[in-house]
Amino acid sequence: MPPANRWIVTGNFTDDGAVAWRRADGTWSRQIAEAGLLSDEPTAKALAATAIANEQREICDPYGIEVHASGDTIDPLTARQRIRANGPTVPLRRPDSGLSR
Amino acid sequence: MYQYDDYDRRIITERAHQFRGQVSRRLSGEITEEEFKPLRLQNGLYMQLHAYMLRVAIPYGLLSSTQVRQLAHIARKYDRGYAHLTTRQNIQYNWPKLGDVPSILDDLASVEMHAVQTSGNCVRNITSDHFAGIAPDELEDPRPYCELLRQWSTFHPEFANLPRKFKIAVTGAPGDDRAAVRFHDIGIRIVENAAKERGFEVIVGGGLGRTPHIGAVIREFLPKRHLLSYIESILRVYNLHGRRDNKYKARIKILVVALGVDEFRRRVEEDWEASRTPELELPDSEVARVSACFAPPRYESLPASATQLAGFALGQDREFGSWVKNNVVGHKVPGYSGVVISVKMPGVPPGDVSDTQLDSIAGVADRYSFGHLVVTHTQNLVLPDVKTSELPRLHAELCALDLGKANAGKLTDVITCPGLDYCDLANARSIPLSLEIAERFDRLDYLNDVGDVSIKISGCINACGHHHVGNIGILGIDKRGEEFYQLMLGGSPGNDASIGKILGAALAQDAIVDAVEKVLGRYLSVRESPDERFLETVRRVGFEPFKQAVYGETTETAAE
Amino acid sequence: MQIIRNRAITDDDFVHVPDGTELPEGKPIVTLSHYVKARDALLVRYPSLGVRITSDKLPSDVPELGRLALVAIEFPRFTDGRGYSIARQLRERHKFAGEIRAVGWVLRDQLLYMERCGFDAFELLPGKPLASALEAFGELTVTYQAAVDDPRPLYRRR
Repeated sequence: MPPANRWIVTGNFTDDGAVAWRRADGTWSRQIAEAGLLSDEPTAKALAATAIANEQREICDPYGIEVHASGDTIDPLTARQRIRANGPTVPLRRPDSGLSR
Repeated sequence: MYQYDDYDRRIITERAHQFRGQVSRRLSGEITEEEFKPLRLQNGLYMQLHAYMLRVAIPYGLLSSTQVRQLAHIARKYDRGYAHLTTRQNIQYNWPKLGDVPSILDDLASVEMHAVQTSGNCVRNITSDHFAGIAPDELEDPRPYCELLRQWSTFHPEFANLPRKFKIAVTGAPGDDRAAVRFHDIGIRIVENAAKERGFEVIVGGGLGRTPHIGAVIREFLPKRHLLSYIESILRVYNLHGRRDNKYKARIKILVVALGVDEFRRRVEEDWEASRTPELELPDSEVARVSACFAPPRYESLPASATQLAGFALGQDREFGSWVKNNVVGHKVPGYSGVVISVKMPGVPPGDVSDTQLDSIAGVADRYSFGHLVVTHTQNLVLPDVKTSELPRLHAELCALDLGKANAGKLTDVITCPGLDYCDLANARSIPLSLEIAERFDRLDYLNDVGDVSIKISGCINACGHHHVGNIGILGIDKRGEEFYQLMLGGSPGNDASIGKILGAALAQDAIVDAVEKVLGRYLSVRESPDERFLETVRRVGFEPFKQAVYGETTETAAE
Repeated sequence: MQIIRNRAITDDDFVHVPDGTELPEGKPIVTLSHYVKARDALLVRYPSLGVRITSDKLPSDVPELGRLALVAIEFPRFTDGRGYSIARQLRERHKFAGEIRAVGWVLRDQLLYMERCGFDAFELLPGKPLASALEAFGELTVTYQAAVDDPRPLYRRR
């Protein structure tokens, strides 16, 4: 079956700013694979708007994005969203190779 | 450096307390993210792709070793063990938790630091020359005036909701502007008039971003005592008349162009005449009080450096010799030198320093430089007051910390913004490019041969990497959902200010570093002599030879 | 309706009069365009008259300021900072002695700066709690720069 285009809702957790993905049951996950798939943009927008109205404590600035969904994989369409899903593509901290302590 | 008194301390501890209240109201849901956003921005707290980001203010880049140790502690305790030096002489943390930020601010306040107004539509960090106070070509130390402007702008009630951010830079070396004042919203040069009086030349409306622009002089000579009242009038005209309908047309440079320099000046002078009071004048006593904080340290009486430096440069240790040539700068006091610590090295995003490195650097500053350190807008560090005789020992210590690279001002001293790996505003990644450049050109001989050249990379048009004023500038763009890069040449931020010109069509990520190499190859083949720097060659021969080097082969092939 | 005036919660003795509505007894706040059209009649009828201006106007756009009891400055968005300069000009340049009131999108966290710029009365966005808003005034007790609250910069007070 060819990959289908779906929509999901994403934001950032208020507590630590980490990337958040809305599950189908309305809770929020840190893994994009757990995001609840929606059929179209208006549905995603409406859910994001509800979250803005009711879930300020949990989530900052939620919005909908389009994704390829195939089997268990959810793949965003843009580089920005892929990086949000997978983390920075560069080393996270400086190697202290010269320091021997 | 400036010594806080009780007033200064109370100001930042009250601010930290105020923000603690705002955070708890956010976490309790009493205020929404929309209402909280401008508040957290005015305390330097961004929301980026993966996390919050806290930008700590380092006024004109100057740090004490005590402060550096605290920055290391914060990286360790609240973040992921490192921090990032920015292109405006600040430092930022990429992974703080919202609930921890009030404690971070308390920890900063305990060493007289803060994150006030490092973001938001307000007056930001006042930046300056990273060799302020030591440069032989300096007319007068700009740092007291930076500090006076900092205090004036901190929690200024009238200018906390400007149309857009506002950046001020001050230089005290009229012959070589290392603070890029012509590319700031307000740029200030300390000058001397015909009567040998010192005052300020005031430049307004410079900037980068979507519409890069070199600032215009609106006041050729402003007597010192009028500094704050005059700057205030500029801000007021901007606050009242700057555009608020379009975020991309809201900087003061747009207003200056729209009104014309003469009309803009007229409005400033009109407001200044109507609103300046005797109280707003800077009394000599206050200038003296603040200047005293920047009095020279207890320099020893030493012989001049020249012979020693020459000996180092030509000595057996070629790495050390290169380091002396590239990273060590002249000092106005005989026997002393300024040292650039390059934090740039292969595998490390430019500007990143670890907590252990920061702790070690604090010790180095104590032992070699009266406990002082300066963050540069090229994302490096400066030890301002090192005894020339101690350079060999210092170099050895820095090498043991992975901080001894002899590439200051050279090809691999890249400056770059965080880009799409971190930043919510970016269109393309910038750090991978800088890593590839650092890796590919990590040969000392090649670096020295190519000589002085600045590569500046921005991941989007906001230009936080200052790509417009790089000798080689790279701008990441989004083309049909893919990352592409525009290459430009010929930018310069100083007195010879120029905005880089795009060379040709945007290049894919796997082609851009090749293109840089081709440009450098062309430079090496057409320069008049090894003494002709990259920028000079570009200005002499024009863009065509470089364009051909990068794009020309395709055309030739097609013609065949 | 309750407002904050001089750092206390009080009942509003003024009434906003949108264009086209009937003028009340008592103390009206009319729009600038209404005032400009009917200034003489309004000033004769109302010993305490207020005028509401939008943030694209300046004090110099308001004729006979000295005869007004109140100027209300509108904040279309809480991030629109023009009102701060307008209020300051009203107090300092034009020596306006009446009430300067912030109306529109006014939030607790703007009150301190607004007061320092010359505002002495505030209509908070509907639904926002007033009692806790008063705490905003005391949050920063030391100020560096001159403003309406004190024309002396800190360096003249140190």
